[in-house]
Amino acid sequence: MAFAQSADPQTYLDIVQFLHYEASLLDNGQFREWVNVITEDVLYRVPLRVTREREHGAGFVPSMYHYEEDRDSLEMRVLRLETEAAWAEDPPSRTRHLVSNIRVETIDEMHVRVFSNILLFRSRGESAAYDFLSGERIDILRKEGDGWKIKEREVRLDMSSIPMHNLAILL
Amino acid sequence: MTLSEALPSTGGRDDLLREARAWLAGGELPGAIYHDEAIFQLEKKRIFEHAWVYLGHETEIPHRGDYMLRNIADNSFIVVRDEKDVIRAHFNMCRHRGMQICRSEIGNSGHFRCPYHGWTYRNDGTLVGIPAGKEAYGDLLNKDAWGLISIPRLEIYRGMIFGSLDPQIESLEDWLGDMRWYIDLFTMRSQEGLESIGAPQRWMVDADWKLGADNFVGDAYHTLMTHRSMVELGLAPKDPQFAMYGEHVHIPGKGHGLGMIGAPPNIPLPPYWGYPEEMVASLKATYPSEAHVRIAERLNFVHGTVFPNLSILNVMIGRDHKHPPTPMLTFRLWQPIGPGKMEVLSWFMVEKDAPEWFKEVSRQTYIRTFGTSGVFEQDDAEIWRGITRSARGVLARKNRLNFQMGMENLKIDTNWPGPGIAYPLDYAEANQRNFYDRWLTMLGY
Repeated sequence: MAFAQSADPQTYLDIVQFLHYEASLLDNGQFREWVNVITEDVLYRVPLRVTREREHGAGFVPSMYHYEEDRDSLEMRVLRLETEAAWAEDPPSRTRHLVSNIRVETIDEMHVRVFSNILLFRSRGESAAYDFLSGERIDILRKEGDGWKIKEREVRLDMSSIPMHNLAILL
Repeated sequence: MTLSEALPSTGGRDDLLREARAWLAGGELPGAIYHDEAIFQLEKKRIFEHAWVYLGHETEIPHRGDYMLRNIADNSFIVVRDEKDVIRAHFNMCRHRGMQICRSEIGNSGHFRCPYHGWTYRNDGTLVGIPAGKEAYGDLLNKDAWGLISIPRLEIYRGMIFGSLDPQIESLEDWLGDMRWYIDLFTMRSQEGLESIGAPQRWMVDADWKLGADNFVGDAYHTLMTHRSMVELGLAPKDPQFAMYGEHVHIPGKGHGLGMIGAPPNIPLPPYWGYPEEMVASLKATYPSEAHVRIAERLNFVHGTVFPNLSILNVMIGRDHKHPPTPMLTFRLWQPIGPGKMEVLSWFMVEKDAPEWFKEVSRQTYIRTFGTSGVFEQDDAEIWRGITRSARGVLARKNRLNFQMGMENLKIDTNWPGPGIAYPLDYAEANQRNFYDRWLTMLGY
C-alpha cells in the first residue's frame, strides 16, 4: 500500500497522543473509559491467519476471526469485566501495550487512517512466565466533538497459533 | 475412604495409574493425572497411537488439490483431496532425508516438492520426480517404493475425517459405536450437511488435554460458577436447576458421552435450539429416525466428547447482552503438546444450505462466546490452567479429586429413546467416569 496523504504535524501529534492515551486506559484496566473512545458504529476485528507461501499473501483467512466485534459486543465484554466473576481477568493480567511505528494518513476532514505496531506484554498470577503478542493495527479514527474515536480497528497478528491460553485482553 | 487411608504411592507412574484404577471405582482420581511427564508419554504411546483422532472436515478441502496440515500427537499429516477426489493423509516427511515436504497450513496443489533435494510427489503420494535421477541414481531408484507414507488408517463419518496410526484398529464406525447416533443429531440436519467456515482458531493452553475433554463430556455443573459473569449478563441460564432438565448419556466402554439440556418447565425457550423455521423443516425431513426429531425438539444446550480429544458444543446463546440467542455449533480438538500443555483447534460449523443471514449471526455468536476470545471459553481456559498448575504438587499424587456426582443417587433412565446409558438429568459425572475408565483401559490399567 503506497503511503498516501500524510497528515499535518498537529494532527499527527494528536493521533500519537490518542493512541498512547488509549493504551494507558487498557493497561490501567479503565475499560469503561475505553468504551468512550470507540464510535457507536465501531468495527473491531482480529482476523485469523494461517501459514501460506509468499505468492498467496499474508495468510489472512476469509470469514473467521479471533475477534469480530461491534459496539454492543465490546460493551458486553466490558460489562463482563465489571462483574465479580470474570475469572479470566480477575485477578487481572499485567499488560503493557507498546505502540510504535505510527503512520497517519488523511482520509477526509473527519477521518484518518492510522497504522501502528503493537507489542503486547502479558503476565498473570505469581508465575514469572509471560506472553507476548505482536501485530500491526490498522485503524480508522473519526473526529467526534473535541477528540478522536476509533471507528475501525483491524489487528493483524504476527502469528498463526496464538501463544497464550485466551484472548481475554483487548489489543 | 478418608485421606489417611490413601494407598501409599511411591509417586511412580505405575503406582499412580494402578491407584487411579482402584480409586475410579469409588469415583476418585489423583489430580496428578493432569500434569505428569511419564503419564503424558504413555498417553502418546497407548492412546494417540491407537485411537481414531479427528483431523478435520471434508468441507475444509472441497476442491481437488486442496490440502491442510493436521497432527496426531507429534505426527504431521498433509490431509489432501487428490486429483481423483479421494481424501488422503500423507505423513509430512520426505522419504529421502525427512524434510517436511509441505510447510503451509492450507493450500491447493497437484504436487508437493521437497525443498531439500527436490524430490517431488503427486498429491496422491506417488513419487514422480527425482532431480538428476539419471546422473545421481543411474535411473535405478525404484520410485514406486518411495512414495509418501500414508496414514495407516483414514475413514470419514458424515464428513468428519478421522485418522489413526494403528493399522489394526477397528473400523471408525465401531470405534464411534452408538455415539454415531448422537453425531447424527448435529450432522444430519440438512441435505447438504455441515461446512467448516474459514479455518479453525488455534491457540496454546498450558493445561492438560483431558480437562477440555472432561469438561465437554459431561460437565454442565460448572456453568453456574465458571460462567457466572455470563449468567449475570443474561447470556447463560439463570436458573440453578437448569441442568435438571437434561439428559446425561455415555457410551459404555468407549469413553464417549454427552449432555443434552432443554428448557425448564414454564420457561419458553424455542424448540430445536431455536434454529430458523426452514432449518427445522429440513432436519425433520433429514434426520435418520423419529427419535432424533423427538429428542432434538426439546434441545437448547448440547455438549459432548468423542474419545479421546474431539468435543462438540451445540447451544443457543446471545451474541451480546442485547440480542436474543442464536444457535451455534463448534467442533474442537484438544491436541496433546506436552505434560500439562495442549493446543486447541476450534472450528465453527454451520449447515451449508443455511440462510446467509443465519450463517453470519451464528458465526458472530460463536466468535464472541467460545474460541480464543470467547466470553465463556476464556474463563474455562483460566480454570484448566489453574488445575494443571496445582497438579504438579506431590500432594496431587497422594490425594484424590472427586468424581462421585450422581453415583449413589441416580437411576438409569429406561425411557430414553436414544442408545447408550442415560440418566434423566445433566447433573452427573457418569460420563466423566466412563471417559477415565476408557482412558485407564487404553493406558493398560
